[in-house]
Amino acid sequence: MYQYDAIDKDFLADRSAEFRGQVARRLAGELSEDQFKPLRLMNGLYLQLHAYMLRIAIPYGSLNPTQMRKLAEISRTYDKGYGHFTTRTNLQFHWIKLKDAPDILDALASVDMHAIQTSGNCIRNVTADPYAGATAEELDDPRVWAEAIRQWSTVHPEFSWLPRKFKIAVTASVKDRTAARVHDIGLAIRRGRDGALGFEVMVGGGLGRTPYVGSTIREFLPAKRLVSYLEAILRVYNRLGRRDNSNKARIKILVATLGAEEFARQVEAEWEKAGDASDLPDTELARIRAAFAPTRFETLTARSEAFEAAKATSPALARFARNNLKPHKQPGYGIVEVSLKAIGATPGDANAEQMEVVADLAERYGQGDIRVTHEQNLVLPHVKLDDVAAVHAALAAAELATPNMGLVSDIIACPGLDYCALANARAIPIAQHIAERFADPDRAEAVGELKIKISGCINACGHHHIGHIGILGVDKKGEEFYQLTLGGSGAEDAAVGQMLGPALPANRVAEAVDQLVEVYLRERQGEERFLDTFRRTGVSPFKEAVYADAH
Amino acid sequence: MRALTANRLIDGEVVFWTDGRWVERFAEAQLFADDEAGEAAEAHAKTEVTTVVEPYLIDLIDAEGIWAPLSYRERIRALGPPNHHDHGKQAEGGAVVEALLNAHGAARSTGRVNLIKRK
Amino acid sequence: MPTRIRLQDGGFSLVEDPFTAVADDLQVPPGDVIISLTRFQAEGERLLSEGRAVGVRLESDEGAEALAYDLPRIAVVALAFPKYRDGRAYTSARLLRERYGFKGEVRAVGDVLREQAGFMLRCGFDAFEPADGSSPEDWERATQRFRHVYQRGTDARAPAFEERGQ
Repeated sequence: MYQYDAIDKDFLADRSAEFRGQVARRLAGELSEDQFKPLRLMNGLYLQLHAYMLRIAIPYGSLNPTQMRKLAEISRTYDKGYGHFTTRTNLQFHWIKLKDAPDILDALASVDMHAIQTSGNCIRNVTADPYAGATAEELDDPRVWAEAIRQWSTVHPEFSWLPRKFKIAVTASVKDRTAARVHDIGLAIRRGRDGALGFEVMVGGGLGRTPYVGSTIREFLPAKRLVSYLEAILRVYNRLGRRDNSNKARIKILVATLGAEEFARQVEAEWEKAGDASDLPDTELARIRAAFAPTRFETLTARSEAFEAAKATSPALARFARNNLKPHKQPGYGIVEVSLKAIGATPGDANAEQMEVVADLAERYGQGDIRVTHEQNLVLPHVKLDDVAAVHAALAAAELATPNMGLVSDIIACPGLDYCALANARAIPIAQHIAERFADPDRAEAVGELKIKISGCINACGHHHIGHIGILGVDKKGEEFYQLTLGGSGAEDAAVGQMLGPALPANRVAEAVDQLVEVYLRERQGEERFLDTFRRTGVSPFKEAVYADAH
Repeated sequence: MRALTANRLIDGEVVFWTDGRWVERFAEAQLFADDEAGEAAEAHAKTEVTTVVEPYLIDLIDAEGIWAPLSYRERIRALGPPNHHDHGKQAEGGAVVEALLNAHGAARSTGRVNLIKRK
Repeated sequence: MPTRIRLQDGGFSLVEDPFTAVADDLQVPPGDVIISLTRFQAEGERLLSEGRAVGVRLESDEGAEALAYDLPRIAVVALAFPKYRDGRAYTSARLLRERYGFKGEVRAVGDVLREQAGFMLRCGFDAFEPADGSSPEDWERATQRFRHVYQRGTDARAPAFEERGQ
């Protein structure tokens, strides 16, 4: 993992000191709320319904056990003993006091963490494949490039006051676990014919009010030209993105307005003029790459007799292995998904004790490596198959072993109106109702892959547009209603979901999901997933089932 | 009927206006039957820029004999998050909290007299 | 005479401002002036021929390339911040310095707060009309806040990747 050096550590200390001064000036009345808001947002501090919320960056979703323990400690000291992992692979604390925020930033800095640019109209925390360094599918380690982007984007002199927020994802496998196509910039690592490393550059994806799947503006960008190319994109956007209407200010609107071809032409022209002055030297790329050098794996056989024997006697372990254990590039190892989606729990929430359990397990069995996924779960990327039974037992004791990865109860939900000042409706109770309805693990497995994503408002933090079933909370004449969409995907087959029909009242949503699932089970052919069946049949049979009573 | 609410600057706590000061419990909020009196209080509150953030008036309805915020958003603010009943103001319990938990005021209005969308 | 904060030889100081900023609907007074791009395009030739120093104010939606050929004759480019969150002028400043080699004064005008000092300095601004009453000392402090930077800017600071190489 990347280790902060003296420069990185100084930087966090300086940033924290800067924010301490700004908070003091706000409390003394020297800064108005209007002036202070953009400053606190750039340090991840929002004012929500019940208190301030602090959003802590987890760069490319990567944490070590010391950091995780510090998060647990902060949650106990300054919050109410829990936190919420987000679709941007960040962590949010909901009960923060403004006066404590500078001390919290100091505590974070002590373990090389921060809240820099987790909000505001700047380049946000970069997403990378949570299986980086562990999956055999990847063409290169995306963390190398994500770390380069983290540094380049941190307090960027030219691109910290953009028209709107800006999100970048780096994916390195055919299977996309980052939702790259719905990012402002999605970078997909490619190999050229000669084996050279590069990126397919996708621009203008996004969710929110007007969802778009991004357009490829360059099929192959030589890897070492990454930073200059990003600067060219950002420069065109900074100049031409709309500033008159924040709902139309994201880069997706600019790309859609100009057309992807014209946008690409302008980027290429700017890139050519700017040259390679901003590109990182090979020495720096090599330094970053060395930090992600493969951890020492033991030479093991692909099959663990101990694990096989344990599975044979424990159906629970066998089920966990079927759903939460993913193949590792190294024989005898596995990638373990830690579920933050216990039935009836708040999706993405972890309490301090759970954080500590995961930290302990990572340290003892997982090479000290923890990942956060954009689907709001945690990952132990390097676990020996011999140890999976022990890991499973410890996770189960902490209610972290729900065997539901990718299944109907592995639901993404934003905090919604339980906490969020922007929300129009609650998301959490809807997720809880659906999960409870599909609590039977046999049934959930029979249904197979089904991604449900819930947002409490049009800003789409819950990624509803790209859910196989998407659910959007709306305020309809003072009551919470929910609009359902079908057929979205954030993966390599990215698509924006299609509206099912009129919004449903809260107490109808879980039932409607059940009806949708029944239609799928009736209509599916062969190995089709819910998404495949929907794409083949179209919306009609699903619509009929849910709105049958309305006729 | 209306009440005046805000979040306290220093800690973000939801607070309500009562005769020139801010209190944490909705049960102690001053009720304004008269629009003018409410708006005067709001105007004054807006000058308290180092005490509270974005004060605004909310509409109330009669919920089984107790005045409750009209909108579910404002009821959630007055209570705490529905997913953790032991967190926020609701943890204290009491008759008003019970009444707010049971209130079902659905209305055309969002309950925020002047719509605020903030971060 | 009005003043502005000027960056000279690495230090910030309050210096007198010989330029008068002239709105388009007012007559151009004698002496050194800063005028809009529109006015410069119409009257710049004549004003320059009168032997005075002329500056041009670019609004945030006006690109620096509009001045590319005139820059050697221009004393000041004033880049407007209609709101401090409007970041277009940072790009304009960099283009003026890095692409067009402008050696004159690049001045920040409008909603200019000390919070932007570090960004402005790194993009090539060297004169500032703060709207928050901040002093040269405030600007000095604000620009020295970060001991390191991660990117190459218009200023001479070595980015982290170069510091590490040393």
